Amino acid sequence: MSHQLPAILFLLPLFAAISMPVVCLKHRHWSQPISVAILAAMVLVSILNLHNVIQHGEVRYMFSGWSAPIGIEWVADGLASVTLVLLSVLGLLCVVFTGPTFPKALGGRIVHFYTLILLLVCALVGMVFTRDLFNLFVFLEVAAISSYALIGVAGGRALFAAFRYLILGTIGASLYLLGVSYLYAVTGTLNMADMANQLPLLISSKALIGGLLFMFMGLGIKMALVPFHAWMPEAYTHAPESVSPILASLVTKVALLGWIRITYWVLGAPIVIFNIPILLLVAALGTLAAVIGAFLALAQQNIKMMFAYGGISHIGIILIGLGQGNQTGFAGGIFYLLNDAVMQAALFFLAGVAFCQYGVRTIDDLGRIGKQAPWLTGSLVVIALGMIGLPPTGGFFGKWYILLGALEAGNYVSIAAVLLSTLLTLAYFVKLFESIFRQSSTQLDVQSGEIPFSFKLTLGVTSAAIILLGLFSAPIVQLLLNHALPPGF
Amino acid sequence: MVDVIFAVFQRPNFLTFVIIFLWGFYIMVTRYNLVKKLIGMYLVQTSVIFFLVSISVKKGATIPVLLSTTEPVQAANYANPLPHVLTLTAIVVGVATLGVGLALCAAIYREYGSLDEEEIIERLE
Repeated sequence: MSHQLPAILFLLPLFAAISMPVVCLKHRHWSQPISVAILAAMVLVSILNLHNVIQHGEVRYMFSGWSAPIGIEWVADGLASVTLVLLSVLGLLCVVFTGPTFPKALGGRIVHFYTLILLLVCALVGMVFTRDLFNLFVFLEVAAISSYALIGVAGGRALFAAFRYLILGTIGASLYLLGVSYLYAVTGTLNMADMANQLPLLISSKALIGGLLFMFMGLGIKMALVPFHAWMPEAYTHAPESVSPILASLVTKVALLGWIRITYWVLGAPIVIFNIPILLLVAALGTLAAVIGAFLALAQQNIKMMFAYGGISHIGIILIGLGQGNQTGFAGGIFYLLNDAVMQAALFFLAGVAFCQYGVRTIDDLGRIGKQAPWLTGSLVVIALGMIGLPPTGGFFGKWYILLGALEAGNYVSIAAVLLSTLLTLAYFVKLFESIFRQSSTQLDVQSGEIPFSFKLTLGVTSAAIILLGLFSAPIVQLLLNHALPPGF
Repeated sequence: MVDVIFAVFQRPNFLTFVIIFLWGFYIMVTRYNLVKKLIGMYLVQTSVIFFLVSISVKKGATIPVLLSTTEPVQAANYANPLPHVLTLTAIVVGVATLGVGLALCAAIYREYGSLDEEEIIERLE
């Protein structure tokens, strides 16, 4: 039974998504409770799966019994299992959050909305588990197509943002597919482990290098790495309030996970191509993203836009950790990835509550509701501590391990970049708080009443999670070091 | 240099791939009409599929069904089915993306009464 858990995790949201339009044909209001139930079941199954992986080692799942290089292989290792627990918990919170934020323009199409959310979740599960490059492409596209539709679902400005995302995302997917076909032409296999065995002999092949370049550019667009990030802030800002948390916290992070799989599991990390160490390149890209993203965030007035740029800079920090080439840096990077997913979800929940409850979109307006919104301000303080990286939060320990890794590698540029990005994060949160605590500002006249329970729940749980991840950082990082490292690292 | 040019013309299929890919990319970058952008996008996708097909061509090979069960299998006699399966999947993905793109275009037209990118951006300001 326990070796079927990866397939169960994938099939739960898939079957729910397929049967949703039929089951909820007459009873539209059933669709949210059903999605919540499915995702709650996924949380349980993913925790069982993590327990099973820690106890008995990784689970290899072969579809229809075809073994690895021929069939499609899924592997539930430590990294995938930890990510899945996070994915299902955040997915559950996002679905709970959707209730009161539901865009009015959507009207009766609520059933299709939840169908798309469940399809997105099932594609993300596939992306986390798969060890087949083409399978990764298919799930990447399923996730992307559901996100285009989800962004454009409520109409208005979001339509145009979704269209731009579609154009850029498709260029990314085409480049990725082109890279995969190059690698397939060179190695004759699509399985990651099989390809990793063959690559050392072929490392000087130009087709291989071209293919890798195309793949990294394609995935770079999907995960909003800095030179390719243009679609991301606009799409996440104009997306409906109920959609942006799940996109910001999960879609880009899982694409980043695919990138990590290819860099570490296929390519083997400490590899040198044409005298350029790959890891140096990863760290350099991370440095660029960390600093530029934070600078751009500082310049924003719209709070969602600011948070989206903050997310871009955090992807850079994760890459800096991964690029150090030692275990501490890698575990720190992965730990920061988990933290960042929680923090992005919390930030966009906050932005959603601010807009739906108080009608606030810009930083100046946020200042005028300060005292009337204790839940909002309270969770903002916790999230700010996490984003800046102050001690009891997970953000601090993530950056701490990344810095330790960089010290171990003697990479002082990386250290400077992390510190500069931290200072800039501090600067843009100071900008937020300055506006909140400014006494002279006229109070906004809002008759908002009590905020709904689901808002309190999502803000409370994510804020608590940010602190809990910090308090339990030592066992989590130890778990990552024991179970989530790439082979031969 | 001359060798390179000769090498390129030895492989007209790769040359065709490059031309279609860049053509699609050019349309996407230079045209303001959203439907034209989608056409460019579809050309890019199609060119990648074309590339996948063209690298998997095997001359003198038959369909991948065993001719004889008693003799040992000669791989050179059969076409490799995997790239064709990949191609089919990639076509399906491309059609789905195009469908969502056209739906978005229709919604944009209903909302703004135009498909010209510059006009829409003017309305947004």
